[in-house]
Amino acid sequence: MQFFLELSINGLVIGMLYALVAVAIVIVCKATQVVSLAHGQLLAFGALFFYLGYVALGWPLWVSGLFALALGAILGFAAERLCLRPLIGQPLFSGFLMTFAIFMVLDGIFALILKGEAWGFPDFLPRGDIVIAGIRVHISGLYSIAICFLTFGLVVLLFQYTKMGLGMRATAESHKLSQSVGINVRTIFSMVWIISAVVAVVAGVMLARYYDIRFMLTMVAFKAMVVAIVGGLDSLKGAVVGGLILGWVENVAAGYLDPLVGGGIMEVAGYILLLFILLVRPYGIFGLVRVERI
Amino acid sequence: MLPCGTFNEDYGRDTAVIRTRLQWIITILAIVLVLLVPLFGSYYFIGLINKISITIIAVLGLQLMMGYCGLISFGQVAFMAIGAYASAILTATYGWPFWLALPVSGIVAGITGIIGGAPSMRIKGFYLALATLAIYYIVVWLIMHLNITGGVKGLHVPPPTIGGFAFDSDEKIYYIIVPVMLLMTYFAKNLARSRVGRAFVAIRDNDLAAAVMGVNLFYYKLLAFFIGCFFAGIAGSLFAHWMMYVNVEQFPLTDAVFFIGMLIVGGLGTITGVFFGTLLISLLIEGVTFASPVLTRLLPALGMAPAAALAASSFGIIIALFLIFEPRGLAHRWAIFKASYRLFPFAY
Repeated sequence: MQFFLELSINGLVIGMLYALVAVAIVIVCKATQVVSLAHGQLLAFGALFFYLGYVALGWPLWVSGLFALALGAILGFAAERLCLRPLIGQPLFSGFLMTFAIFMVLDGIFALILKGEAWGFPDFLPRGDIVIAGIRVHISGLYSIAICFLTFGLVVLLFQYTKMGLGMRATAESHKLSQSVGINVRTIFSMVWIISAVVAVVAGVMLARYYDIRFMLTMVAFKAMVVAIVGGLDSLKGAVVGGLILGWVENVAAGYLDPLVGGGIMEVAGYILLLFILLVRPYGIFGLVRVERI
Repeated sequence: MLPCGTFNEDYGRDTAVIRTRLQWIITILAIVLVLLVPLFGSYYFIGLINKISITIIAVLGLQLMMGYCGLISFGQVAFMAIGAYASAILTATYGWPFWLALPVSGIVAGITGIIGGAPSMRIKGFYLALATLAIYYIVVWLIMHLNITGGVKGLHVPPPTIGGFAFDSDEKIYYIIVPVMLLMTYFAKNLARSRVGRAFVAIRDNDLAAAVMGVNLFYYKLLAFFIGCFFAGIAGSLFAHWMMYVNVEQFPLTDAVFFIGMLIVGGLGTITGVFFGTLLISLLIEGVTFASPVLTRLLPALGMAPAAALAASSFGIIIALFLIFEPRGLAHRWAIFKASYRLFPFAY
């Protein structure tokens, strides 16, 4: 039982980070209808920028954090302005392929910077364990969950209570209608990419605490896609629930099944879950079921 | 657009792929030239053509699935791996001849493709792409953990033999790979023009409308998966017998990504485009591999082995440029070029 609870807690901590990346993807997908793979690189570069500030230049935590967020926002803005805006009016699938191209370009640059090594990432959160009801929990994990919920809360506040958020929600409903009431859809697209890049950077910095800065860090994008689809591509709530489910399933399945089948369950469990969800609920748990017309 | 003086005198001529005398001459010359390459080509060059031909077979399958039927798949490499392992197990473990194992491995890959394509009944587009990605990871995991596939160690594969003659070098197996590639191209080209190909196009353009028009979605989508994966299986089988060794690391996800890139660069929905795209991207990657030692000498900051990273970056840039400036791919440019030289002195 204790083993199970520890696995579950580890799973939820990681799952919350998956959820954060998925939230970044969902934000973009809601407004622009483009499912982005580029966030895997945005988060990896966010972690790199943070490393640059915090370790290489020795800046204090909050300065390097802001530095990473600012550079990440610029990267997200550049991705939208240079690559995705020329594609407005083309089929949505080319938007997906474009984020894929961005992924590949940044992937090469990331590999050139890393030179095949892994950079140990500093653990900037408070260390130590606390015991809750007989289970040992890392304090840093709790902080990580708190930061995720804070970011998520800010995103929700932005969407619900600001004028820009209203514009974003309107854009998500219909591009034509929101243009006709005077919303500048292009500006909204830029803002959406900036916000989602910032969210991705937060997730990237927190993820790098677990995985260090290594080449595989970018592959989190694929897991976040799985999360976004499991939860429903147009639902923020779904992204969080999906992330928690995926993190939990991965960790529990790996903990119990790995000794039986010889490892590697961690990689596959999420995808088996995805296939199952797609067969049962093709639009995800909270996704909007679209009625199709000819 | 056909050159002046080409008439459709009967139905056979109207539907022919090769229409003019010049096209016949070029086709025959090209086939003869391709078959003579091993006589004067260097060892490296022949290996490159083998590799590109195998890639063309796999990309042709993906073109039928993605370009014609609109079923996006990241799984093509996984089905190639299934074909390669099926062929390897049949020939090495059970002692089948290569000539029987080649089509059987295609069929095995095709049938697994039908199983993998089953979700396409309920989902499409991006959701399907992710489902095929899931299939890729599951296939790789199975290959690494099953006993019959030799796990991470891989399997040794005997070369194809006919009588006592073994096709055990690049020049010899060239005469298997390239004719099979030509045969598969012929098959794909004709399939795309048939009733099946038209049904695929209808499904791609609007699957609901296609269903209303009487296209059986269930049958044709699974057929598209079967055919696409059949091509991948054939490509995988050839690959295994060319390398004489299979290992799961020969089938990285990056290759699936490159396949999709080749389709975009070549043009979705054309068989000619497969050739343009595959050649361009393969040569780009080869070129980057060649150039990277030089670049490392000029710019030591790049690190020791920048080839893979530079290939990924330049590939991404090419895809981005094509998506922005020529979303219909090189095949479209080629069609424009053909039309303009046939009309030459006139604008239209």
